[in-house]
Amino acid sequence: MHRVEHVMGMPIVVAVRDGDVPDEVFDWFRHVDATFSTYKGDSEISRIRRGELAIEDASDEVRRVLGRCDELREETSGFFDIDAVDGDPSGFVKGWSVDEAAAILDRAGFEEYAINAGGDIRVRGTWLIGIQHPLEPQALAKEVEGTDLAVATSGAYERGEHVRDPHSGHAPAGILSVTITGPDLGTADAYATAAFAMGGHRAPNWTAHLRGYEAMTILTDGRVLCTPGFQSVE
Amino acid sequence: MLAAMTAAASIAATTKKVVTKTVTGPQAVADRWGYVEVVLVVKKTTTTIGTHKKVTRKIINVTAPIYPNHTGRSIFINQQAIPLLTQEVLTMTKFNPNIELVGGATATSYAFAQSLQAALIAAKKF
Repeated sequence: MHRVEHVMGMPIVVAVRDGDVPDEVFDWFRHVDATFSTYKGDSEISRIRRGELAIEDASDEVRRVLGRCDELREETSGFFDIDAVDGDPSGFVKGWSVDEAAAILDRAGFEEYAINAGGDIRVRGTWLIGIQHPLEPQALAKEVEGTDLAVATSGAYERGEHVRDPHSGHAPAGILSVTITGPDLGTADAYATAAFAMGGHRAPNWTAHLRGYEAMTILTDGRVLCTPGFQSVE
Repeated sequence: MLAAMTAAASIAATTKKVVTKTVTGPQAVADRWGYVEVVLVVKKTTTTIGTHKKVTRKIINVTAPIYPNHTGRSIFINQQAIPLLTQEVLTMTKFNPNIELVGGATATSYAFAQSLQAALIAAKKF
């Protein structure tokens, strides 16, 4: 059974192989939207950004998310930096909220499920996942057989929010997309954003050093560079 | 009879030769960290049809037997990074009907349609 709802400005698809998708999952996504949206003036994040709420006084989950964003800035040498986008943690919140939704499904006893939040995916059990071609939206660039895996992609074809190098302020050059796979979608998403911001010259080498995460980088010259453990289907 | 002979002749004229070769790159300076030497194993396939010759090359293995190791930090990083990245050329595949989910950086209404399509495909299997 699957359910699709438009939440947090994107389609979220939740599919389970047995049973029904519990309401609790979409209640959670609506709660995340109300708390973290930069489009809602009364969200905690909007109040923090306006200086009306101190981070110390924010809810536990908001402080945890902002704390993890600080760690990710360190892990990515500053290429994932929410301060560069006026403290908007959306780039992490999307993946993190899916990880938490997965935990809800785990607790409810689901052993085979898939969550697709606007193109970022987390599955439990084995699922065949297509990675969209960065230039041809009708086509796939790669097929990945994922088991208990998170898959995040960042690219130039992303909606509105064009990724920029926080150090130079420029759009990254030489790179079409970065797909990161690993255990945790929030982390995978931040790594994909950071690697994309690094540009084609630096991203492939950086992804080769990640621990616990694999990567596929597609460059503007058509080269596809995968780390050895990237599980694509031949 | 003539057609059969022509077909036999064209089959006879098609040859395929596969050669695997190891190619070693020059030692290159990796900033201030030392030297890197990359070794590629390349499979070269030469297909000859009549007088037409087509050559394709595929990198089947990449290793770096020489890499910076003069500090603990770079040994650690390079053990993580070796073997290096595999390389191929971007190709396009049509949607495989067995695909259950589609990932990508697009989150527009178009992607919504794609996600929905994938979900519907997946739903048929449940």
